[in-house]
Amino acid sequence: MAKIRIRDSKIDITKEAKILCESILSDLEKAKRPVLEAVKCSLDNSFYNSKVGFLTAGDKVVKTELNVSSVQKMTRTIFMLEILLEKLVGAATHTKREYYYIVKGMIKKNPELKALDFDDQPESDAIIDFICDMLEVYREEMNCFANDRGGQTYSKNLVVTETMSDGSTAVVDLSSLGTTPFQPKNKPQQFKLKPKKGKIDFCLVIESEGTANTLVANGMHIRHNCIILGAQGVPSNGVRGWCKTIQDQLKIPMYFYGDLDAYTLQNIFRTLKAGSAASLIRNADFSAPDVRFLGVLPEDVKKLDLNYYDVNDRDVAEARSLKKAKDALENDPFFQDKKNKKLADILHWLVREKKRCEQQAVFSVDPKDPLILEKVIIDKIKRGSYV
Amino acid sequence: MSKITSSSTAEYFAKNLQQVGFSSPSKAVLTTLKEAVDNSLDACEESGILPEILIDIQKTGAGASRNTDLVSIIVEDNGPGLDPEDLPKVFGEYLASSKFGRGRASRGQQGIGISAATTWAQLTNASGVRVTSKTKNMRKAVSAIIDVDIKQNRGILKKKETIDWDKPHGTRVEFRIDGRIVLNGDGGLLTYLEGTTLVNPHLSITYKLMDQEARAIPRVSNEVPEIPAATLPHPHTMKLGEFMTHAGLFGKITLSNFLIKGFSRVNEATLKELVKKGVAKGLLTKNLSAISEVEYKKVYQALHEIELVAPSTRSVLTVGEEALSKSVQRLGETDFFSVVTRKPTICDFKPVVVEVAIARFTHLTSEANDAPIQLLRFANRVPLQFDKGACAITKAVESVNWRSYGLNQPKDSVPTGPFVYAISVTSPFIKFKNASKETIDGGEDLVEEIRRALMQAGQKLSRHIKAEGKAADLERKISHMEKFGPILVQYLAKILGAPKARTERAEVGLKKLLGRDASSAEAELEQATSKLQQLKDKQRAKFGGDDGVTPVHQDEVDAAGTPSEAAVEEHEELAARDLKAAALKKGTKKKADPAPDARAKK
Repeated sequence: MAKIRIRDSKIDITKEAKILCESILSDLEKAKRPVLEAVKCSLDNSFYNSKVGFLTAGDKVVKTELNVSSVQKMTRTIFMLEILLEKLVGAATHTKREYYYIVKGMIKKNPELKALDFDDQPESDAIIDFICDMLEVYREEMNCFANDRGGQTYSKNLVVTETMSDGSTAVVDLSSLGTTPFQPKNKPQQFKLKPKKGKIDFCLVIESEGTANTLVANGMHIRHNCIILGAQGVPSNGVRGWCKTIQDQLKIPMYFYGDLDAYTLQNIFRTLKAGSAASLIRNADFSAPDVRFLGVLPEDVKKLDLNYYDVNDRDVAEARSLKKAKDALENDPFFQDKKNKKLADILHWLVREKKRCEQQAVFSVDPKDPLILEKVIIDKIKRGSYV
Repeated sequence: MSKITSSSTAEYFAKNLQQVGFSSPSKAVLTTLKEAVDNSLDACEESGILPEILIDIQKTGAGASRNTDLVSIIVEDNGPGLDPEDLPKVFGEYLASSKFGRGRASRGQQGIGISAATTWAQLTNASGVRVTSKTKNMRKAVSAIIDVDIKQNRGILKKKETIDWDKPHGTRVEFRIDGRIVLNGDGGLLTYLEGTTLVNPHLSITYKLMDQEARAIPRVSNEVPEIPAATLPHPHTMKLGEFMTHAGLFGKITLSNFLIKGFSRVNEATLKELVKKGVAKGLLTKNLSAISEVEYKKVYQALHEIELVAPSTRSVLTVGEEALSKSVQRLGETDFFSVVTRKPTICDFKPVVVEVAIARFTHLTSEANDAPIQLLRFANRVPLQFDKGACAITKAVESVNWRSYGLNQPKDSVPTGPFVYAISVTSPFIKFKNASKETIDGGEDLVEEIRRALMQAGQKLSRHIKAEGKAADLERKISHMEKFGPILVQYLAKILGAPKARTERAEVGLKKLLGRDASSAEAELEQATSKLQQLKDKQRAKFGGDDGVTPVHQDEVDAAGTPSEAAVEEHEELAARDLKAAALKKGTKKKADPAPDARAKK
């Protein structure tokens, strides 16, 4: 089966993995404690350069030396690496969940491996992520995917060409799908995109997939030469890679529309635009730095007289979100960069005012007009009312 | 208008036996046993005799009442025995007691319990109690059936006979009552017997319950508890009515004499203070019979305005840490316990001493950790087995945050785990919530005092639990190396396609790494074992107990009720080492052969 590439990486995964294993085995032969090193994927090792547009990793590494505490993790890592490499050589593709069950099955069959057993899937997911951080490769490059949700896409003017695993191509004309979404999976970076006719005006990413569906049901993608995409909350790798592909290949303005609250700004929009601290090694291909925050903006609340309400301090999730927002203003290089000052100002406003406004509040501006959200969005784009 | 009639005390109790512990068939059996054993223990202690008690409880047929059995309860002691003329009073008359209002920390107080048991036997089986008794001055024992004359509140002796009895002195009582035998659980007979055994280290007890094998538990202390002398009441513990009734006991003496002779902590200086508070000098010299109610009230109020020295704590009796330590071990093998005896103190103007033993019995360890701890409550060395929720002791246990000591504890509840908490409150003036003495009605002071004792024991427990956690962690880590190491080498070789020679070298290297970890752990183990042995020797010399006995002593406790640093350190260190040693032994047992150089080092 053909290998599908996400990026022009010079990393030969099998070779790198063998170098790593050679080093461990050689250390063991010398009765020396082997040490594994991986990029430290955390905010304190994150850097943001507005010219690059996404969070990049610093020099900090996480070292894992073989000892009584780390031997379990190290053994699980090598065990899982062997399985991943074997699958990679055969160009087999699996989800993280499948790997969890593949490993489970092997362990159940072989009692000698019992000690390696995972209690639940997050444990095996963490090992796969650790392997990727160590080799500095994308999980997708290891042919390992998540059961990604989100990314339902609609357009009357987009044609997607996909190279299949057998080398053949599939061409999808989104205009022929009606209100059925096109939902990219696995490696959207390898899609070839082109407008059916002329140039697409813009891409609109909606935080709520339901609201994206509503806009489509009301015919926004028919009336406007655009792409509408539902993110479904915090964007998955699939959504992030898809947005990056749209941005790079179509070179059209991209807007994000979601709630006006700290969680949306910090966790959803920032991840879409600049990636996350947890995915430092793959932000380059999994972020769309050109995406703009269309709303809801604090000024919209006033101008449109939107319904808003106080953040409930007693609600654990909301209180935690506010605290995280304060931390982000102090420590997140994305919000500290002067290019993103206006976004940081919104975050300041949210922390100060302790208010929030839902993306659906616009529907109440004129309850009799089913197209009100579409009208507001188009008006905002025209007026340049975005950050 | 209906005619007003008066009833005897016996009539009242005969109609209200539920108030004194006869509210159900199972409680009736327990209360009868309890009253008989309490009387035996009190009698032995009064006479300086080391008690030997034989108990036999059998189901002998169907009870007269529905859903009951006819139960025979026999309790025999080696006490001083009773003179024949006292038998009807003791077993058949209510409120006939040698202890009533004497201000002593004895088990029985009012003289109700055993007469109530006789009444229950009489009401349910138409026959009172059969008593056999012999004093050291009698050649033959007297045996008789005693009934309660309910109308007259007096005992009636029936079928009196003299018999040969091989005991030099003692008393044997045999009740045949309607009841139901419950052995286990909060209200069970075994729970009562184990509790009684625990807080009476000087007691030798043999019991046979139904068709179970007889169990003999020998005493672990040869000292009869020295019953403290009775104490005079403290004026601040009395209400006005009690104050006046108390005066009535003193006949024709002056008020000043009454105050000095009738109360503790009242002296000449107190009288001067009373004068300063407005009590006329003339009133103090007045005869009690000539004092009016108004004058009594004035004196009473003035007394309460004066700050008096707290009552003496000499009247309280403690089991003692040493005896409690030994006694805990009579009940089964423990892998941990701590005992705390607080200094006698004053709570709500009453002298009180609180003792706590927390133990984990190995036979309980395998049981569910989610079950609540077994809470044994004692008042004046008598187990309290009912109405746990309302008791001051339970409140104190619930008020402690046991989670901070490493135990699980549902909100506002007793903690959970395979532990037994024995908490003893001793005082000549324990306030019970009911006549059946099932729950202590404690004020804030008493709850706080119990709480402090629990926290002291809890600190010890916490160190033990933490040390166990560390030991388990160490064991887990060492076994990790053994479990994971070979798989690591195997899969590295698989990825690299490494030849067998390399695999073998890596395995040897891994064993060396293992050996390093193991040898450093073994060195720690050796050091810990040696120090632990020193402590055990020290403890054995002091307590004569088994390994694992770790009492917290009062002399190691500072004024604030916290164990001194040195004591804490010593206990903590040794407990931790003990556990660590056990863990290492367990962890290294399965280990592969140490690497050659590791062996060479040894």
